Amino acid sequence: MACHKASCAEARTIHTAQPPVVTMVDVSLSGLVKRFGNSVVAVDHVDMKVPDGEFVFLLGPSGCGKTTTLRMIAGLEMPTEGRIEIGGRNVTYLRPRYRNVGMVFQDYGLYRHMTVFENIAYPLRVRRMSREAIAAKVGAVAETLKITDVISRGPDQLSGGQLQRVAIARMLVRDANVFLMDEPMSHLDAQLRAHMRAELKHLQKQIGTTTIFVTHDQLEAMTMADRIMVMRKGLICQYASPREIFELPANQFVATFVGEPQMNILDCRIERRDNAWFAAGEGFEVELDSCWLETSEAARRSDRPMRLGVRPEHISISEAPRDGYTVAASMFAFEPTGAENLFTVKAGPHLITVKAPTAETQRFNIADGARVYLKPDPARLYLFDADTEKTLTQAAACQPVQA
Amino acid sequence: MSLEANYLVESPTAPARERNWWVYLILFAVCFINFVPYLWMILTAFMDKGTSVSAVPQWIFTPTLEAFTYLVREKRVLDNLLNSTIVSVASTFFSVLIGTFCAYALARYEFPGKDDVSFWVLTNRMMPPVAVILPIFIIFQTLKLLDTRLGLILLYTALQLPFVVWMLTGYFRDIPKRFEESAMVDGDSWFGAFRKVTLPLMTPSITATAVFVLILSWNEFAFALYLTSVQSKTLPPSIMAYAVGVNVQWNILGAACLFITAPIILFVLLVQKQFISGLSQGVVR
Repeated sequence: MACHKASCAEARTIHTAQPPVVTMVDVSLSGLVKRFGNSVVAVDHVDMKVPDGEFVFLLGPSGCGKTTTLRMIAGLEMPTEGRIEIGGRNVTYLRPRYRNVGMVFQDYGLYRHMTVFENIAYPLRVRRMSREAIAAKVGAVAETLKITDVISRGPDQLSGGQLQRVAIARMLVRDANVFLMDEPMSHLDAQLRAHMRAELKHLQKQIGTTTIFVTHDQLEAMTMADRIMVMRKGLICQYASPREIFELPANQFVATFVGEPQMNILDCRIERRDNAWFAAGEGFEVELDSCWLETSEAARRSDRPMRLGVRPEHISISEAPRDGYTVAASMFAFEPTGAENLFTVKAGPHLITVKAPTAETQRFNIADGARVYLKPDPARLYLFDADTEKTLTQAAACQPVQA
Repeated sequence: MSLEANYLVESPTAPARERNWWVYLILFAVCFINFVPYLWMILTAFMDKGTSVSAVPQWIFTPTLEAFTYLVREKRVLDNLLNSTIVSVASTFFSVLIGTFCAYALARYEFPGKDDVSFWVLTNRMMPPVAVILPIFIIFQTLKLLDTRLGLILLYTALQLPFVVWMLTGYFRDIPKRFEESAMVDGDSWFGAFRKVTLPLMTPSITATAVFVLILSWNEFAFALYLTSVQSKTLPPSIMAYAVGVNVQWNILGAACLFITAPIILFVLLVQKQFISGLSQGVVR
């Protein structure tokens, strides 16, 4: 009899135990397509591999298909074509409840009629965990996220930051194989967002669960990601590390989308004079380093329209015409931001943004139309094809980055 | 005089306190117009025959239960009350039950002809009852449903369904899909998410809709008049009997009206809080 009882207890513990924790969880998407109706292609042949434990960002403007991609990984949207694998398991057309993913929604999706505790406990209740086990788990996760004191309140009594924490707690409370986050910070104010960025990054590394994060905020992606996938109109633009995205953008879209303020883009043509290469457009002429122009056949063609790209922080500005400051411009607008100043200047028909340290520029004449001279850093120039918008070559190609 | 001077607004000195006595004046007028007839009806119900027919309205009299005794003993009005209760509660239950699922489908899922379905549901409501009384009478005769409660329950359920579907579709649309999606990602089935997450949030709206439907079914007159005679006669047609004829007995009519209005009024007072929060849901957030 005693023996029977013991085996019963044993059976129960086995029943309530968590599913075996899968140690290596990589996510792989291949040829993923989602069409809505007959005409709208939201996601167009997306291929992506997320290695185990990485923090990967889907970045793009609204309507680029990043949220749809995430929803397909969660199983809330079924793909039209393609294959989704989580931890080597094909989950393409599996219902969400069997995928073992945790998700945070943009508006958190917290249940208004339940307290914080009940909200966090929901995924455990669904799995019929014992009352004590639930209390212990919820207590532990609330401790981690510092929401212990609001645990018995309703969601409508919480601040934005607390709501966000509760949503994250609900995602963390069970041992999900993959975490998915759909713009979870878009409702927070700027200060709180900066704080949560650091905290979330720390938490992700601590827990080490593969995480996919959707955002339209390039700063969020740049600061937190191990890897960023930039999307546009359902297509992948580039899938690389933040540094590579910033320094070696695959096309003009990626170059302008990442970085604040955004990269200056100037229509130009390539000219060769006196054994030197120039990028010349209306109102400016910039000498190009021949070393990196040699790397690309296409970039040396002088017969086709091109675009010169240079980031605001890679332009030096001077009030006096000095050596190398070849672009003459006039002051258009001045925005002080504290440690750095933003100048918008006019060169011919182009408006060029320049970012310069306040220490160097605080005595500048900022009157409208005041004369200034610009010098783009020759090692930080980009050339884009005007038709395809692809990056033809870039100065940084001479010094390969460590991705 | 400058041009601006023509547009100057001369302000009186600010009053010492807010002047809003006129709000109470309007409220009082509205209440008076609404409640005095009802009050008179209640008073009439407790008069004897002589007092109720006197030419000069008498506000002070000895109350008597004469009219009520007559209705309960002679006319068996409690049977009608029972019929009314069973028919309206049952039809409310079924129409809300079926309507909830129908409204959920219309609010959440995309399917071909969705707009046609919801419009077609509404058109059922546009038909005047008189236009279909005859065919329904013949159908009921064939199916032997005449003068049965079951017949009325079926009919009222069908009648109220469009109303329920239209009310609830709007309320379901106001509840973000996120709630169910997050429950499903968290490991729940579709029905589990619906029952545990969506339905509790819908309770006030469903209550409000149910109250409306209950009132409509309770007061339904035309079909009840033609499709019932003795067994399953509900209150509205039975009360009409006291309002026609040359010698209307006012005290009996008053008592009968009290029988039909009192249960609903008491019920609405009981669920008032839920009812109002349901009605204002989606408007005030």
